[in-house]
Amino acid sequence: MEYLVTKNERVGENGYRLTLDFSKDDHPPIPGQFYNIRCTGEMDPLLRRPFSMHRFTKENGILCLQILYRVIGKGTEWLSARRKGETLDLIGPLGNGFVLSERTDVVLAARGIGIAPLCAVADAVRSLNPGMHLHILMGARFKDRVFYLKELERLGTLHLYTDDGSLGFHGRAPELLLHLLETGKVPRTCSLYACGPAPMLMELSALSERFGFNGQVALEAHMGCGFGACLSCAVPLRPASIKKNASWTKSALQWSEDGRTCYSLICKDGPVYDIREIDWNEWLA
Amino acid sequence: MTSGKLTGMSGLLDCSVRIGTLQLENPVMPASGTFGYAEEYAAFMDLNRLGAIVVKTITLKPRVGSYPHRSTETASGLLASIGLQNVGIECFLEDKLPFFENIRTPLIVNIGGESIEEYASLATSLDQQSRVHGIELNVSCPNVRKGGMHFGVDPEVLRDLVSHVRQATGKALIVKLTPMVTDLRPFAEICQRHGADAVSLINAPIGMAVDIRTRRSRLGKNLTGGLTGPAIKPMALYCVWRVCRAVDLPVIGIGGISSLEDALEFFIAGACAVQVGTWNFINPRITLDIIEGLEKYMVEHRIENLSQLRRTLVEEVPKVGTHRKWSVGVTE
Repeated sequence: MEYLVTKNERVGENGYRLTLDFSKDDHPPIPGQFYNIRCTGEMDPLLRRPFSMHRFTKENGILCLQILYRVIGKGTEWLSARRKGETLDLIGPLGNGFVLSERTDVVLAARGIGIAPLCAVADAVRSLNPGMHLHILMGARFKDRVFYLKELERLGTLHLYTDDGSLGFHGRAPELLLHLLETGKVPRTCSLYACGPAPMLMELSALSERFGFNGQVALEAHMGCGFGACLSCAVPLRPASIKKNASWTKSALQWSEDGRTCYSLICKDGPVYDIREIDWNEWLA
Repeated sequence: MTSGKLTGMSGLLDCSVRIGTLQLENPVMPASGTFGYAEEYAAFMDLNRLGAIVVKTITLKPRVGSYPHRSTETASGLLASIGLQNVGIECFLEDKLPFFENIRTPLIVNIGGESIEEYASLATSLDQQSRVHGIELNVSCPNVRKGGMHFGVDPEVLRDLVSHVRQATGKALIVKLTPMVTDLRPFAEICQRHGADAVSLINAPIGMAVDIRTRRSRLGKNLTGGLTGPAIKPMALYCVWRVCRAVDLPVIGIGGISSLEDALEFFIAGACAVQVGTWNFINPRITLDIIEGLEKYMVEHRIENLSQLRRTLVEEVPKVGTHRKWSVGVTE
C-alpha cells in the first residue's frame, strides 16, 4: 500500500526519522511490529527492507507512522533521499509486538538504532500506567554514534554508555544494566525490553536468568518477504522455553523429527520474543 | 472475469493451458518455495484467480531446514539456502491441505526425497487426495546434502525416478529441472520418454557471496545457496528456449519473472506456462498483476488464444535491406 511522506528528518550521524501519513490506514500497529518497505523503484536493491514502528502519533490532527532508521546501505540511502509529498510502498504491520508489562519499573535497553521500537514501548507503557518508572539504556561504540538524546530524556531516566567510555558509562549495555542492578538503581523486579545486536541480547538474557527479571527482545534478521513465505529469517528456539499466548501464537514453528530442534520465523512468530526463548548459542554459532 | 476466458474485442479469449490431466484457466502460477502453503498469500489476493498453486516442497518427514543466515541479497538476486524446511507429508495432509477445500484453483504439490522410494511413497500418498491435481518433482534442490540435486544431474537416476513416480500416480506429473548441467535437453527428453506431463525450469542455480571483512560466506555455515530473482532471468529464458526447440513436452518457464513483459518473453521462447518466484516476496500480488496484464495484452494485440504467442521467437536474421533495422552493418 502507498503512503505519503510528510517528513524525513536527519536525527544524528546517519540517523533519520521518516513520518508517513497514516490517516487512511485502519490497522494501528502494536509496539514491536514492523513494516516491509520497498526502498527502490528498480531491481537493486531487490528486496523490501523491514523497519520497526518507531512511533504512531498524531501530528496536526493527522495519524502518522514514524520510522527511525540509520543509513547503512543502498536501501536506506535511497530511503533517506525521499522528500515530503513522495509516496512509499509499505506492507504491514507485520509480526508480533511486545506484550506490555504492568510492572512499575521498566528498562529499555538499546544499542544505536535498536532504540527505534523501544520508543513505541515507552509511549505504550506510559499510557497504561502514567506512574511508571522508565529506565532507558542507550549507547554505542563511541560518543558521536549516540543519538536521539533529547527525545529520550523526555521519555524517562536516561543511562548512557559507550564502549570506549567517551560518553556515559564505560562499557556495554549488559555491563551497565548489571551495574544498575547491583547498585539498586534498577530493581530486580523490573521488566526489560531490548533491541540491539544479538550478542548484546544474549548477554542481557544471561542477566535475566541470573537476576530473575522478565524480558522481551526484538530481533533483527535478513528477510525475504516479511510474511512467512520465504523461510529466510529462521531463529532457533530453546524447546523448553517456548512461550505462547494470545499475542504470540507462534504459527510458524518448525520442529525437527526428533523434537530437539525448533526453528521459528522472525517475521511471523517474532520479531519480539521472550528473552529466554532464543537459543543464542545456536543462533550466533 | 471469473475464468481464463473473457470477451474481448475479438471475441473469446483463451488463456487456458493443458498439462496432462490438468486444465489450467490461465498460465500463471507461483513457483514452489516462494508461496509457502498458499495461506500466507490469502491476505493479498484472491487465490482463485491463479492458474495453479504450487506449494513448497514436501518431504516424507518434517525438516527444520538450513542453519540461520539463510539468505543474502546479491545484485538483482536473492541467494538463499532454506534447506527444504517443511512440515512433512503427514502434517501437510492433516493441517495444510484442508485450507484448499474452499479454493478451486488446481493444486500442484512439489515433492522432494532422498531416495526413489521416498518420492514414490509421497506420490502414492498424494495420488489418493482428490484436492491434489498435480505433482511437481523437485529433483534439483541446491541446498540439501542428500538427494535434491543428485536426481537432476544424473540421467539414469532421473529416468528411474520419473518412471517409478509415474507408476505411483495418475495425477499430472511435472519435473522441475536444475540448470546445473551441461545440457538440459537430454534430461527433458528422459522426462518425456518416461511419462512426465511437463518439465518446469529452471530451479535455482547455485551461487555464493563472501563477506570480505570476515572472509566468511554471507550464508554463514551454509556456505552456498540457490540464486533466484531477476539476476537469473536471461539464463532461465535460454534454458526454456533450448528445451522447447528440442523436446515436444510442455515447458513451464521459471526464473526471475517480475512483470508481464518477462512472462511474455518466456511464452515467446516456448513456455506453455510460467511460475513466478522471488518477486512474490517483493510484490505479493505479482501473479495476479501478470494474469490481469496478460488478458489486457491479449485483447490489445488481438490474440485470442495463448498458443498464438507460444514459440513465436523470430530466429532467422532478415536479409539485408528487408528491414530498416538490419539494413546497415549486417553481413549474410
